[in-house]
Amino acid sequence: MSASHLAESCFSHLRQRQNHDGGWGYLPDSQSWTEPTCWAVSALASARMESDSAALSRARSFLLSGQLQDGSWPSNPEIGTGSWVTSLACAVLSHDQEAGHATAAALEWLCKDLPRTNSPWLRLIRSLRPKSNISAQNDSLSGWGWTPGTSSWVEPTAFALLSIQQFRPERLPHAVQRRREIATAMLYDRMCPGGGWNCGNPRVYGVPGEALVLPTAWALIALRAFPDHERKSMSLAWLEAEFRKIRSPGSLAVAGMCLETYGRATPAVKLNLEKFVPKQIKNCAAHVLAWVCLALNSHRKWPAPLRNGN
Amino acid sequence: MRNRQLIPSFQRPPSRVLIRRATSYQGELASLILESLREFNLPVNGKTVLLKPNLVGLDPLGVMNTHPAVIAATRESFFRLGAARVLVGDGPAMDRDTQAILESVRLSEFTGKLGHDFCDLNIDDVTKVKLETRATRLKELFLPKTVLGVDFLVSMPKLKTHHWAGITLSLKNMFGIVPGSCYGWPKNVLHWAGIDGSILDINAAARPDFAIIDGIVGMEGNGPIQGSPKAAGILIFGEDPVAVDATGCRVMGLIPEKVRYLSQAGTLLGHIDSMKIQQLGESLASVCTPFAVLSEFRKLVA
Repeated sequence: MSASHLAESCFSHLRQRQNHDGGWGYLPDSQSWTEPTCWAVSALASARMESDSAALSRARSFLLSGQLQDGSWPSNPEIGTGSWVTSLACAVLSHDQEAGHATAAALEWLCKDLPRTNSPWLRLIRSLRPKSNISAQNDSLSGWGWTPGTSSWVEPTAFALLSIQQFRPERLPHAVQRRREIATAMLYDRMCPGGGWNCGNPRVYGVPGEALVLPTAWALIALRAFPDHERKSMSLAWLEAEFRKIRSPGSLAVAGMCLETYGRATPAVKLNLEKFVPKQIKNCAAHVLAWVCLALNSHRKWPAPLRNGN
Repeated sequence: MRNRQLIPSFQRPPSRVLIRRATSYQGELASLILESLREFNLPVNGKTVLLKPNLVGLDPLGVMNTHPAVIAATRESFFRLGAARVLVGDGPAMDRDTQAILESVRLSEFTGKLGHDFCDLNIDDVTKVKLETRATRLKELFLPKTVLGVDFLVSMPKLKTHHWAGITLSLKNMFGIVPGSCYGWPKNVLHWAGIDGSILDINAAARPDFAIIDGIVGMEGNGPIQGSPKAAGILIFGEDPVAVDATGCRVMGLIPEKVRYLSQAGTLLGHIDSMKIQQLGESLASVCTPFAVLSEFRKLVA
């Protein structure tokens, strides 16, 4: 299957899977969730097809109606507390002028969403304890967690940074700049010794953690906006080497987007997507279908390869 | 919906736990497992069974995950016992690319193509479950509809030590039913709520009906991911996951009463007292294989 046929097929599955409420479930005929809806919106919006405008409008309504009073989004509408998907919803609504209040509230929530590891009480305990060999990271560097009041992890931190990058500086709360700096330092601190990232444990009991494709690719995409850094180069080299071994559609797509973001896309990206995705399309979750659509669209809006002026 | 009635251990009848020798993942695992399951007269005829293995990460060498040969042989055995459908499902904790994990362990080479009979529990639809045990501050958890809806749930861990909990067997394996889509990768809210209490809350909310421990090759030391392979050459079976775990603990040369969550589980989810566990098959003494533990857990060593 050629790349264009593959994209067409993924888009077709994605369009068919939209629920009546405007959202997407992870799996066919499942309840709507915020995450797959955000990725589906991103993929369809990037395709710039007039025929998708009604679907996108319904998806936008689903997202806006799901925002909680505090500005966050829950993983799905039945859950009463906000989470990591706030970054995704905020990003995909960033260009929607009528969603200005919603995204402003979401950005405020993101600024206030500090991991519990950085509470004054835990900082005091850490300062009094002898240095432990259990983990190697610096917990005073705060990124973002998957859920409020927990620890910082690589992927939600990358998503928050990516979301913030969607907004012009004048639209961002004052506290954002400092959060960005610390979160960037946190990502570098959590890098695995051999390059790349896993969920956020670079070393446990003295044993180096092994990097994984998705956290590495998202972290690198998020760090693209920041100055070059030797750790970034090292992680990019890890991902390039690892790419040859990837067979799963999700990792292939996100790694492909990452390599393209850094101008390292090779024919292997499309070739491997063409080779390994078609036989799995029917069983792919909606967010994975959307990632494949995005990876095959070099004009994607978000997460976009950086252009001059960004 | 799963039966969530909690029964104090003193009201429970003794539990039967079967230990079988199995020194390799090759050969007649299916007949060994089928024969072992028949000892228990399981009510699975015409039912939907969910096998919940421990798929913790990318594992091309078959060191950290429940071995696919054991999963496939168990699936085949439940079909032979008359199950209408045998699903396999897990929600890996550290890596959200479940497909990559399945490919790394080559699951379909052993089970055949599973299609919709594999359920990624991280992205399944969910139902809110109130936690009756309140072993943590968590009042509720959103759990996968597939787990709550099946007729018969089988926890299938690997025999491993664990760097936070001491051991990880059929009870700790149930962390994998908590969906990453709600709680992340890892499911960090459970760590903050307390691992021991979370294990109790989860198992009280969705108690496995049966447990099978893959102890053919386990993991010692810095488990569940970075430890060293350790061959114990056994499979452990039982209807009481607490008794199965207590037996697994004893096989590893550890004292179940000193594993905090297991000791607590022994009060209302099953038995850990050896006097309340009827040991079938191989004797404990004949299969005991001491596993190394991190220094923090030396107190567990018998």
